Amino acid sequence: MGTTKCKNTARHNKPFWPRWIYFATGIAAIWGGRVIANDLLMLAGCIILVWAFCLMIRSDRRACSDCGKHNWLETPDDPAEEDEAARPLAACEHEKAEGVDDYEALIDQMVDQSRYALLLRPQIVSSMTRVLFDQVVHSLDVAMALVPDGEVLLSQSDQTSSDVPSYYDAPVDVPGRTVRVQRFFLDRYPVTNRQYYEFVAAGGYEQVTLWEESVLPAMLDFVDRTGHAGPRYWKNGCYLKDKENQPVVGICWYEALAYAGWVGKRLPTDAEWVKAGCWPVTISTTGRFQRRYPWGEMVDRNRANLWGSGPDKIVDVDKFEEGVSVGGVYQLIGNVWEWTNDDFRPEQILPENATLDVPLKSIHGGAYDTYFDNQATCQFQSGESALARRHNIGLRLAIGVCDLALASAPAAAPETQESSPPSAADEENLAAKDIVTSGDDGSEDVIAEEVSV
Amino acid sequence: MTKSVIQPLESYRLAQYAVPVPCYICGSENTFDSEFCAHCLAPLALAHQASSQGVMPRMIAVIGASAVGKTVYLGMLMDMLSRLPDRLQILARGAFSITLQQTTLSALSRCRFPEKTPNDPDQWNWVHCQIRDGSKRESFELILPDMAGEAVLQEVEHPHSYRVVREFLRKCDGVLLLVDALKIAEGGRGQEHFTMKLISYFSELEKNTKHGWQEQPVAIVFTKSDLCQECADDPANFAQNHAVGLWQQCEQRFNRFRFFATGVAGTCVSCEQRGEGRVNIPLRIEPHGIIEPFEWLLQNTLV
Repeated sequence: MGTTKCKNTARHNKPFWPRWIYFATGIAAIWGGRVIANDLLMLAGCIILVWAFCLMIRSDRRACSDCGKHNWLETPDDPAEEDEAARPLAACEHEKAEGVDDYEALIDQMVDQSRYALLLRPQIVSSMTRVLFDQVVHSLDVAMALVPDGEVLLSQSDQTSSDVPSYYDAPVDVPGRTVRVQRFFLDRYPVTNRQYYEFVAAGGYEQVTLWEESVLPAMLDFVDRTGHAGPRYWKNGCYLKDKENQPVVGICWYEALAYAGWVGKRLPTDAEWVKAGCWPVTISTTGRFQRRYPWGEMVDRNRANLWGSGPDKIVDVDKFEEGVSVGGVYQLIGNVWEWTNDDFRPEQILPENATLDVPLKSIHGGAYDTYFDNQATCQFQSGESALARRHNIGLRLAIGVCDLALASAPAAAPETQESSPPSAADEENLAAKDIVTSGDDGSEDVIAEEVSV
Repeated sequence: MTKSVIQPLESYRLAQYAVPVPCYICGSENTFDSEFCAHCLAPLALAHQASSQGVMPRMIAVIGASAVGKTVYLGMLMDMLSRLPDRLQILARGAFSITLQQTTLSALSRCRFPEKTPNDPDQWNWVHCQIRDGSKRESFELILPDMAGEAVLQEVEHPHSYRVVREFLRKCDGVLLLVDALKIAEGGRGQEHFTMKLISYFSELEKNTKHGWQEQPVAIVFTKSDLCQECADDPANFAQNHAVGLWQQCEQRFNRFRFFATGVAGTCVSCEQRGEGRVNIPLRIEPHGIIEPFEWLLQNTLV
């Protein structure tokens, strides 16, 4: 065993003596061969000896980082020791191509940064050329799916897959509440590390206006493993190798909110998230068909990255294509949980009359390590502290159709561009926020209110 | 007037009674139709299973303080093994061996923790199963009881008060020692002191007259590490920094030990419930590090 100061004692526990057996066998064979004058046995002994020596050389023999003692350390499988990716060039660092004016370059840059939603605000669209407008709309169409307006049932208790014996607690039976949502766009994929990198590289963590004032004291903790501003599991302000297209995780709710504001979108409400997954169809004034999973009523582990169905880790956002929703949204179920804009409503999980000590934010969708099928349905809601930076919570963004000026496209391309490009301050102010109001009949309407520039 | 009646002569029952059934845990003799051992209250089904199989099961103890998560760990372990046949295959022996898995998983699937294990040994859940290594195709029988933490504490404080605890620890081949990482991280020493007592107790049992418990594998498992990132990242370092006494005990008493971190609930909230006081509620189930300590223990037990 190492000294008591050594951190790696557990690794030192690996038995040492078996490694010498190979040597002993080789020497014994040589000696035995010599005694009985058998050249073949001596040759075999030599081969074993050489093989054992090679095996020892190849092994990972090195000094323990803590105690300095040389020992046979196991290869660490700590993800902290994974290689970081070669730092990619962010869109804001690209040099402007020759022959392209500042305005077009800025539009291209914002599209590359996934900030196309800002460009489709009424104030901006009116000053755009038709070509640029079409280009931006195409970006929106590729990246986001349209979810129609309508009603959706929320917080319905989900006991269908639970075989709870009667002697246990009474099942949580919460009547569903109907919520009406307006038409909105939802990201087809969760926000990736690469997309979030644009935010970090553009100084998103330094733009105070993007962050809620109440969270500013906590921002010093919003750092990666090396102390740079960024998601918790990054290194040196950059995501790890081969994780470019994976959903960004290790960000708290406030970081998600700041990123959403930067790209001109917002976090979806609970109702919007569930509606995109359940895709409810109202067949009468009282009847509504609403699926449990984006693909139907039954869990299908080939369609989602859940515990026991995937590689037991986060995968790229475009995997599990068969689990796509009716509207064309990927990975609503599985891979990573997703922050939503609403508070966690505990009626579905907590016992009656129970009160939470601290308010939590709502998350939906389940993750690669979600164990139970009934906790990976569209309806199931879990909660997490707004400051928690978990390994399996990411984000997906939304924007209301009424926030975009899709109908007021510019008629023709002007010869010269007279209006000035949007300034950074304008872009920040363009973020829209949703206000949820409760009606007298118990239903809720999600209406979008745009903050004027 | 006399009436003749045919009375079956069940002399075979007398013969069965004449042959005592030794309890597999304490070795005391019992009648063949007893459900529990009259001396230690261990289920005699274990003895019947062992005699019918013709093999002597190995035994692994899962012990720790009260509310440390023994039932959840054990129930989750059984369920995960039954769902991952490629890694370790598990085959329950007897219906009673599935009860623990059933009650634990039923509760967790509804975002509740299972009820506290009663102190009475005859109400404990025992698991007797066959474990088969998915790759090596080796199999062996294993017994794992879900012992109440308070009963274990009682036995440690007052030896011989729970005979089943003493006898099981004396005979078992390895120990999964569960420690509440959250309580350690909060700075409370109670958890560490209890674990040190436990180590001191079972390591001084006369397992082997030559070595005692020194050569037996011991996996120290920090539970609830999902709420303590430092512990989840490096449990050995966590023990060295926050539970120095425990660390020293392990260094001095055992040759084969390792620290692990495990967690079952992705997030847990504590809330006030009218009539019941404070209750802990798991908001979702995301097991981590459940199989690894068990796997390590099996590998070291088989050596």
